Amino acid sequence: MSADWLGHRHGSIDNPICRMPATLKLGVSLVIIVGTVLAPMNWTGWFFSVSLILLLTIVLSRTPPIFLLKRLLMLSPFVLGVVLVNAFQSGGRNHWPAVAAKSGLCLLTAILLSNTTPFSDMLRSLKSFRIPALLITTLALMHRYLFVLTDEAERMRRARLSRTFAPGRRFEWRSLSTVVGQLFIRASERAEHIYDAMCARGWK
Amino acid sequence: MNAIEVSNLKYHYHDGTEALRGVSFCIVSGECVALLGPNGSGKSTLLLHLNGILPEKPSGNGTIKILGESVTAKNLNMIRRQVGLVFQDPDDQLFCPTVHEDVAFGPQQLGLGDVELNARVEQALDHVGLAGFGRRATHHLSHGEKRRACLAGVLACEPTILIMDEPTSDLDPRGRREFKALLRQIPSTKLIATHDLELAVELCQRAIVLDHGQIVADGRTVDLLSDERLMLVHGLECPHILRHVHPH
Amino acid sequence: MHIPDGFIDGKTAVTAAVLSVAGVGFALRQVKRELPPRKIPLLGLAAAFLFAAQMINFPVAGGTSGHLVGGTLVAALLGPSAAVVVVTTVLIVQCLLFQDGGVMALGANIFNMAIINSIVGYAVYRLVCHRLTGVRGRVTALVFAAWCATVLAAMCCAGQLAWSGTIPWSIAFSAMTTVHMLIGVGEGLISALVFLAVYHSRPDLISEMATPEQPKRLRELVGYGLLTTLGIAAFLAPFACSWPDGLDSVAEKLGFSHKVIAPLLPAPAPDYQVPGIHWATGATALAGAAGTMIVFVLALLLGRWLVPKPKDS
Repeated sequence: MSADWLGHRHGSIDNPICRMPATLKLGVSLVIIVGTVLAPMNWTGWFFSVSLILLLTIVLSRTPPIFLLKRLLMLSPFVLGVVLVNAFQSGGRNHWPAVAAKSGLCLLTAILLSNTTPFSDMLRSLKSFRIPALLITTLALMHRYLFVLTDEAERMRRARLSRTFAPGRRFEWRSLSTVVGQLFIRASERAEHIYDAMCARGWK
Repeated sequence: MNAIEVSNLKYHYHDGTEALRGVSFCIVSGECVALLGPNGSGKSTLLLHLNGILPEKPSGNGTIKILGESVTAKNLNMIRRQVGLVFQDPDDQLFCPTVHEDVAFGPQQLGLGDVELNARVEQALDHVGLAGFGRRATHHLSHGEKRRACLAGVLACEPTILIMDEPTSDLDPRGRREFKALLRQIPSTKLIATHDLELAVELCQRAIVLDHGQIVADGRTVDLLSDERLMLVHGLECPHILRHVHPH
Repeated sequence: MHIPDGFIDGKTAVTAAVLSVAGVGFALRQVKRELPPRKIPLLGLAAAFLFAAQMINFPVAGGTSGHLVGGTLVAALLGPSAAVVVVTTVLIVQCLLFQDGGVMALGANIFNMAIINSIVGYAVYRLVCHRLTGVRGRVTALVFAAWCATVLAAMCCAGQLAWSGTIPWSIAFSAMTTVHMLIGVGEGLISALVFLAVYHSRPDLISEMATPEQPKRLRELVGYGLLTTLGIAAFLAPFACSWPDGLDSVAEKLGFSHKVIAPLLPAPAPDYQVPGIHWATGATALAGAAGTMIVFVLALLLGRWLVPKPKDS
């Protein structure tokens, strides 16, 4: 699987939405998501307002609509599952549009939040919400090394593929597990070097 | 017969940047060709096409033929058997815990018996000057030893065509000399992407210069590398070895 | 199994969030207590590793492929509390950065995949390791534990969906459990293979095996045991009443007398469902019981196959 899809920032980075403080964006997103999930379907005012806010955000942040559409499709397996299940129910035929609509709005909110807020800013906000320091450090390190490790995994995948010319499933599973095992070993060794580097600059 | 035939190859990255813009060339069996070009010219991307790693999805942008056969999704196993690719970063390639296991990775897919397999591995290690290194852990090797272990792992598969991406980068002068001596002894068709212009002159009769995804020059290495203007325009330079030697 | 927003309602999300906050908070305190400072960065790197590892596809059949989820594997490598922290980190990043799993549903996802998966996996792993020693024992334990953890996490997920009224329990339970009984086999196998790869190369990196004898972990037993019980009480117990009903239906189908198996509890008011769907619940429960035994035998066989008997000198 290509690691290219991990590049998640799309559109411009200099716009009013991106400049808003992360805590505000996180707070507003949370209110929208929780409100949308809890609101009964007949609160049309709520859904209308939320849709307006999201549309305004899309326009102001200049997020490409095609990107949004592609990401919204991620929901489709779940929605399809619920649709299929409810199709066989006598009373459940009206259920699935509500689920799909609410889910879509929440997902759109999350996508816009993620696309307009650097992760490090989000972490800083979480810190002010009293999330424990150990978890914040772990999240920060994961984010920092996420792309390093996924790139490494991708390069090892290509190197492994280049020397695979008579694959049986048993052989493939064994060699794939070897690669995963190696990834863990390298991650562990890297963690030790990081500890040394952090201590060298006064981390406690 | 042509070992490698590339015709009008195009490729662009996921963000839309064009990496290769219509690359065409042929390499005859037995030739040793240097692939030169500045960073970002598309050398590694081109090499990854030659054993079918790229494109991720068939796109119909140009054709590649290895030993007369077009590279398609169906014959990738055969292609990878014939084309040995040595990657730029040895850590990407050495993913097995011991040297023996890593060198055996390729040949063990050929249905050889244990005795034959071990013999093949020992022979390959011997060839690259790593005799007796079988039980060593791959991550404990020095950089030069890692590079040689990678070469052994590919040679053990006995490919017809050997392709190498920056084989001497990060090597100390002795390591470079020894590696060059190794490569000189390998008779297969060779395509070597490199910044080491002295290696290009010493080992490769022919050179192809790639810049911004296009071939800008293709000819005798000595002629190309002596052309100061060509070298400067495409981010290279005349190697010392040619500056004080008259080409004739 | 990442639940998106909108598929679970307020009460389910809050219940799961409370349980998750308690569980992760407990795990963080345990980790600070037992992990040496040198290993702190390992949590973040292990999370990055798990994310990268989850992207590697293992071919199954005809174009389908499976991939590692890894809660039990990380617990076997680094210990149960570290595993909870690591998987929670992965889930938070997946949610915030890649929208894989909803924001309000984060509590439920953390409960299912970080807590249930890692803790149940670890508990079963330790239990089996206690009986079967050596590397072979560990491999058997890991295969079986990963399977159990996967299935139980799926059941909790089904319970959450049903409690929210999104999908009727009988369908959610049958569908998710049967699918994950299959997925669990792959998870067990991959976990065992990766564990072996690490063990053969750098056994010193497996923190969980650092001490010559297994640490007692009484505090964790009590803490996580309580949490797991509460979770199962919230998400599974309310629906368990329909199991006898379901078993009843299976018995009918198989031709046994209707009176032989009396319902243990009165059946709840039937949710809107197609008549006869009860038998799916019962059949799944029976399949689960049989499956557990089959997978254990499979795990024993895999242990023997993957770990050759050590030669006696």
